[in-house]
Amino acid sequence: MVTKDSTGPVVRLRDVAKAYGTGAAKAHVLRGVSFDIEKGELIALVGQSGSGKSTLLNVIGGLDKPDSGEVEVFGVDTQKANDAQLAHLRNDKMGFVFQAFNLLDHLDVLRNVTLPAAFQKDNRETEGRGREALRKVGLSDFAHRRPGELSGGQKQRVAIARALFGSPELLLCDEPTGSLDSDTGREVIEFLRELNAKDGVTLLIVTHERRISSVAKRVIAMRDGLIVETTDEALASEHVAGPA
Amino acid sequence: MMPVNKLAWMVVANTLRSRRHFILSAFGIVIGIATFVVFLASTEQVGTVLEKIFPLEQVSVVAPRASLAGMDVSKKLDDTIVKTILARPEVKSAVPRMTLSFPAAGRGDFEGNDLKFEVGGFADGIDPDVVDDDVRTKELFRDWDADPSDTKHHVACEYTPPGKDGDIIQSPRSRPKNYKPPEPKPLVPGGPPVEAEPENFNTCPDSDRYYCDDSDRMCHHRVPIVMSPTMIELYNGQFAKSHGLPIADQDFVKFVTQRGGLNAMRFSIGLGSTTVAGSNTNIKHKPRRIEGMLVGISNKAMPIGMTMPIGYVQRWNREFQGDEAASTYSSIIVTLRDKQSIAVFSQWLQDKLDLRLDDSLGEKFATVLFVIRLVLVLISLVIIGISAINIAHNFFMQVTERRRELGLLRAVGATQQDVRLVVLGEAGLIGLIGGVMGVLFGLLLAQTVDYASNHYLPRFPYKPATWFHFSWWIWVGGLVCSTGFAVIGGYLPARRASKMEPAQALTQN
Repeated sequence: MVTKDSTGPVVRLRDVAKAYGTGAAKAHVLRGVSFDIEKGELIALVGQSGSGKSTLLNVIGGLDKPDSGEVEVFGVDTQKANDAQLAHLRNDKMGFVFQAFNLLDHLDVLRNVTLPAAFQKDNRETEGRGREALRKVGLSDFAHRRPGELSGGQKQRVAIARALFGSPELLLCDEPTGSLDSDTGREVIEFLRELNAKDGVTLLIVTHERRISSVAKRVIAMRDGLIVETTDEALASEHVAGPA
Repeated sequence: MMPVNKLAWMVVANTLRSRRHFILSAFGIVIGIATFVVFLASTEQVGTVLEKIFPLEQVSVVAPRASLAGMDVSKKLDDTIVKTILARPEVKSAVPRMTLSFPAAGRGDFEGNDLKFEVGGFADGIDPDVVDDDVRTKELFRDWDADPSDTKHHVACEYTPPGKDGDIIQSPRSRPKNYKPPEPKPLVPGGPPVEAEPENFNTCPDSDRYYCDDSDRMCHHRVPIVMSPTMIELYNGQFAKSHGLPIADQDFVKFVTQRGGLNAMRFSIGLGSTTVAGSNTNIKHKPRRIEGMLVGISNKAMPIGMTMPIGYVQRWNREFQGDEAASTYSSIIVTLRDKQSIAVFSQWLQDKLDLRLDDSLGEKFATVLFVIRLVLVLISLVIIGISAINIAHNFFMQVTERRRELGLLRAVGATQQDVRLVVLGEAGLIGLIGGVMGVLFGLLLAQTVDYASNHYLPRFPYKPATWFHFSWWIWVGGLVCSTGFAVIGGYLPARRASKMEPAQALTQN
């Protein structure tokens, strides 16, 4: 794997740029983004729709490639890493939580949670680890339910359990409360905060949600593909964008 | 690459979730494989039947017919020619045949029917060692008169007078225990009683197999005869039906047992006699009667007629036609080491010996069968090919419908290769299950056809008990073909799935 310094920041971005389309229709989604994410941080990435938040999250997660700039995740230069190395990084070090949950309806809850194990050579304790992840999100009794039998909040908690299955050091969340009502969203936010506080998991959360910004240690605001402001938690709430 | 067991689990789970997708994708494969196995099994069976009629590994060497001023000046096939042919490296064996070259007629009792038939022109001789179809035939098909050790049976016996006007008589039966001559009976009602003709009996020991020869008045073993399966088929298919006779079983031992043993298979042969009016062949000996018995069914027998050990034919030809007839073979049956060398051998025959191969119907049928098989296999491959395109189409739709899922797999650690293998595995599994279902469907179809054939199709020569022969390679070929074509069909969709950008796949609806 192409690694530089494993003791440095969890994520290091330098002049990251990304555009979609060609010619007149070309849209510059990221225009030279630079920042670091240190271990144990809880960062809220805010901004209006189309500001480049989700693209930046995908670039960090290795799900998308930047056109230029440097991206290092856990010391791995994702520009130079091959497909297998990036897949291993996603499987071993990172977890993803999506707004639309992305659960597989034909598998039960436990199978959804243990899905990352399908790409691991290690067969040990797969079910045990899956049940432990479900216990963490408070869904121990739902292991053999199908996603279709769950509420939105329960689905998102299953998605979080799946993200936590591999004990990741970095959790990338894309609008985790976007499909939830306010009470359920609050529960999820509280859970993520505790995860950061108790387990030391580094969190980068793309959000419109004012409450997440309020619990974040750092808020990074984006507009038109640029970081327009970075604030600590005391000032965070002032930079939260309006509803999507 | 993800572990194989986990790949298999994921493939099975994904395949089983959508019946609609499975049916849409597998339907064509099931039909294609069913036709594939049925076509192959039927042509395989036809080939088996053909080889029974025309042994393809054997060729018949004959001399081209030539005449000069009405005289037959064809090249003579003799022992020198046989030895020359045997010396060829591509030749495994060379067995001469000799036809009975003078008139002969047969008479026998079969199921109470007095059967008369022509033997001359429909009989030949062959080395008894090559007739080894079963133990019973091997034991009985011998030149018994050439065996000097059989002194026990070579004893004097009662002379059997010829029939009225020199007609060939039926083979006499052995004298029953407590036999009483029939009482005199009037020929017309009210007329004087007339004594019946005295009945002749076979007085030889072991009368099931031995008879009294009229010429030396000594007991001889009946001449063992074999007939070809073609004869049995012709008898069953046409003769038995038109004459109201029972159907002969292909299992000769069973057939003989049902008819009452070898004794029931005996008949007279009038050497030098004929049923053909106007026959003007000159013979050197006055006609005489011998007895033969059918001892088995053999592929080595002449197709239409009867075959006996060549020693008998040689002696009778010498007796009735002279030394020339006793040393001239009618054909030489050559078995080649390799079927492929037939062209080389044929050319050598023409160039060096001025002989040729007899027209082989078997070879022609085999060629026609090969072409038919090719066409049928092509048709089924086209069906399977179309089903592969159908699979490709369905999987392209699936990949589009499942892009979020495929993106998710990438997000949780799947490589491009893993995604490709998952999709290819699903296609392969559909092909395999479709193949198994297709093979079973084909088997059901074959059984239905066989049932209909056995119950509704009238009997005809060589009508098989089954129209299909499912060799192991047909099953395996069907499954390999179905899986292979399905994987080919799934290749492009799998490639597209693996090349999909996970970020876009996860965000698009």
